[in-house]
Amino acid sequence: MIWDHALWHWTSLAWLVALVWVALYLIVFRRAAVHGLRSLVLGASLMVLAFVSPIGVLADGYLFSAHMVQHLLLLLVIPMCLLLSLPKEKMAQWFENARLDRAGRMLSHPVPGWVCGVGAMWLWHVPVLCSAATQNAGIGCLRDTSFLLAGLAFWWPIFAPVQRYRLPPLSGISYLFSACIGCTLLGIYITFTTITVCPAFANPVDRLHVLTSLYDAGLTPAIDQQLGGLLMWVPPCSLYVGVIISLLCRWYSNTETVTPPESPGGYGRPFSTSAK
Amino acid sequence: MSTEVVQQYETAKADSNWGLLSWFASVDHKRIGLLYMLLAVFFLVIGGVEALLIRVQLAVPNNTFLSPQFFNQLFTMHGTTMVFLVGMPVFTGFANYLIPLMIGAKDVAFPRLNAMSFWMLPFGAVLLYWSFLTGSAPDAGWFSYAPLSTKPYSSLPGVDYWIISLAVMGIGSVAGAINIAATVICCRAPGMSLQRVPLFVWIMLMQAILILITIPPLNSALAMLLIDRWLGAAFFEPARGGSALLWQHFFWMFGHPEVYVFALPAFAMVSEVIPVFSRKPIYGYAFVAGSSSVIVLLSYGVWAHHMFAVGLGMGANIFFAAATLLIAIPTGIKIFNWTATLWGGSIRCTTAMLFAIAFLVQFVVGGLTGIMFATVPIDWQLTDTYFVVAHFHYVLIGGIVFALFAATYYWFPKITGKMLDERLGKIQFWLWVIGFNGTFGVQHFLGFMGMPRRVYTYADHPGWATLNAISSVSAFFMAAGTLVLVWNVISSLLRGSTAGANPWDAFTLEWFTTSPPPVENFESLPEIKSRRPVWDANHPEQADWKTSTTPADNGHRPDKAKTSAWAFVVSEAIFFILLLVAYVVFNARVEDASGPTSETALNVLRTGIFSVFLLSSSVSFWLAERHLSRGDTTGFRKYLAMTILLGVVFLVGQAIEYNELIQDGVTINRNLFASTFFTVTGFHGLHVTGGLVALSIMLLMARKGYLTPKRSKVFGAIGVYWHFVDVVWIAVFTIIYLGFLQ
Repeated sequence: MIWDHALWHWTSLAWLVALVWVALYLIVFRRAAVHGLRSLVLGASLMVLAFVSPIGVLADGYLFSAHMVQHLLLLLVIPMCLLLSLPKEKMAQWFENARLDRAGRMLSHPVPGWVCGVGAMWLWHVPVLCSAATQNAGIGCLRDTSFLLAGLAFWWPIFAPVQRYRLPPLSGISYLFSACIGCTLLGIYITFTTITVCPAFANPVDRLHVLTSLYDAGLTPAIDQQLGGLLMWVPPCSLYVGVIISLLCRWYSNTETVTPPESPGGYGRPFSTSAK
Repeated sequence: MSTEVVQQYETAKADSNWGLLSWFASVDHKRIGLLYMLLAVFFLVIGGVEALLIRVQLAVPNNTFLSPQFFNQLFTMHGTTMVFLVGMPVFTGFANYLIPLMIGAKDVAFPRLNAMSFWMLPFGAVLLYWSFLTGSAPDAGWFSYAPLSTKPYSSLPGVDYWIISLAVMGIGSVAGAINIAATVICCRAPGMSLQRVPLFVWIMLMQAILILITIPPLNSALAMLLIDRWLGAAFFEPARGGSALLWQHFFWMFGHPEVYVFALPAFAMVSEVIPVFSRKPIYGYAFVAGSSSVIVLLSYGVWAHHMFAVGLGMGANIFFAAATLLIAIPTGIKIFNWTATLWGGSIRCTTAMLFAIAFLVQFVVGGLTGIMFATVPIDWQLTDTYFVVAHFHYVLIGGIVFALFAATYYWFPKITGKMLDERLGKIQFWLWVIGFNGTFGVQHFLGFMGMPRRVYTYADHPGWATLNAISSVSAFFMAAGTLVLVWNVISSLLRGSTAGANPWDAFTLEWFTTSPPPVENFESLPEIKSRRPVWDANHPEQADWKTSTTPADNGHRPDKAKTSAWAFVVSEAIFFILLLVAYVVFNARVEDASGPTSETALNVLRTGIFSVFLLSSSVSFWLAERHLSRGDTTGFRKYLAMTILLGVVFLVGQAIEYNELIQDGVTINRNLFASTFFTVTGFHGLHVTGGLVALSIMLLMARKGYLTPKRSKVFGAIGVYWHFVDVVWIAVFTIIYLGFLQ
């Protein structure tokens, strides 16, 4: 059923976005390292996956759980790939510019990033907004863009391309742990609540004539919402825990006492946890 | 702050002339640690006798040795005692005794708070056991599942005693955990970076954090059950619209992480014992430390695997099964770390080491049966059978109690200055290995045969009698082993050989001082340049720091008042989150429209205006803090008084609202809206009142001139709490008054 032609949206605009990203990247960072390009291509492919595949098609008014997968890709995974793809040397040069530096430093504070990341999850699951974004293409587009931007802001204090904008590992761990609690609470709520979080998915308009087969597969609205809640809860927390493990590794492997504050190639180098 | 600690030492020294009475007044972390351990041993004996009575009853089929009701009381009290009066205190005791020694501190961060945390325990214990005198000890299981624990089904006061004593002990545990966390974070000796602390210290820090976040769900559940029982609400009574399942969710949100609250210290102890007796540093320090941190993060997301059989739905079951399998990974990693530490080591088979090795084997058995239970169909088949009893006793006794014995034999010389007898120790070891595996090993088979747990007797099914008899007889081997330990302790205290400062040639700082340590812990400290400072000092030619570097200490120590305030706030936040969850659960349902609701009963505008007063008190507090740090005491006092006044106005508003509601017949037992409303806002009001008391004390101190800019951090710590109370109110207002999430 997954190969049903109706479930693929081959003419999605996501192709264009992904292609623009890759093209821009190749033009701007001509001599970028391969692993940077790899992250970018991964991010761009996930972007395509999120809109072209059944995830995107079913997220458009059919399945709340598919919407949740798309939401997590847009908010958490794709922005992380984008940030990780940025070449550090080049970025270090760019962020020497005073204005950019101020922006970078502002985003490196944990509060705005946290509020963007966790707030986007909560805000767009207010029933009215969630339904509106599903039923109105314009609001939907606004929502998806806001996810990408909020995701970039959220990951900035962890994966900023310039070392000095990153939180020290222990603070990074509390940042991610509290974010995990934030999405856990929402996940628990969506999983166990008896009210419909996103009314648009409760009575879908069966444009593609797949509703019966979905229900036959057991994806009734109640189950669908429960799955959505669990998706909101377990995968993001697993991702956060994964990143926390990497932060812990960095914290323990750090053997240098002092790092020059402005090391241009600081990414990947051991760095100091000393609180500044 | 350092002056304060020194003063307390002087009182502690003066105390020592009072003989036995000085133990009651002591604030010395070593004495308090010992008190914790002695209390745990006392209740280990009581809980053990209860277990023996249970086993005697189950030794033969159709036995009438105990009445069904007394049997229920015994397994309830056995579980409650072992969890709250043995498990919690014994580990807090070891942490209290050892952590300041291991990090080169003079005492814990807050010695007086430490004494308070301890004395809550005997208080709670007396409350719990007092219930026997009323003729109705709690008998609803250590988990007190609703609706069995609600008034219609348990009308006698047993459950009330259970609730109050658990709440009292919970307060003590949270205070103790705050203290341990603040000690590790703020009181380390120079050179002791957080990446260099002994694994015991790091893992106990993780345990303290876990206690902070895991006790609040229990407290909120207890508060709600108490309101059900005393004030006639119906949170957990399905017959009146409540949800019995909510109790299970809340209880296991506490209950499952609680398993890790016990398991982490066992890991911590084994991580110290195995390296010393293998003559090697631990293999993969960062892995052991990191995986312990990951356990803390994951332990909160797996509680529902205790509820596979209640019908959560397939989706929820699958996810919780996956999360449960996931948490086995960080636990499994450590087994490999310890095994790899043994590998190629020059192993000394002391009693402590034997217990640690038995821990490894038996904990793996308990862990593997745990993974079996993560698989939903196996859980359905085996839930509430003796297989479960076997599983968790393999974890709790085969794993955790064995680690405790290892720790006892390892640190006894440090605590008393005398060595325990190794020959007696080995006798105890074998008695316990035989007794333990005999008692619980066969219960796996009983479980497969379908023998249900928590039932006072059983019919003479084929094979059941033999296996139960083996189980009951073996239990007495453990009892005998315990007597051997007691004998060993007494005889070595009377005529044991002197231990000396470092009898095991161990690595960590506690072995640098005399045995037992003096009141001030250390006369001098060695230079701390690695994870094994005492090894470095004793073997300078093979010092660790010469071959492998560890992150150096940056000398940064956060302020302990603020650290503890933040820890407290985190704990309280979880308490409120769960109360709000209960509010949302009970008020999001359309069908319960009978009686008052938030729309019909509440005056949003008026409460909104009073909220402004509360929120502006945060601003005035901030201004007060600024004036204090600038040294402007008049301005400071003015704004502090204003903060208090604003808080009082808010409380007056709340009183007016309550009065009006009660006049209209909206009381806490009216319906679920009223119950949840009064519970949430009442607890918030209580917190505001607490904050006002603290602020008034500050104002008095300011009047007397005690609050100088130097002490502004203490004031700042109260600020953390005060702002927190305001943030909680914003959440309460948004959810209850503005109807968010409904």
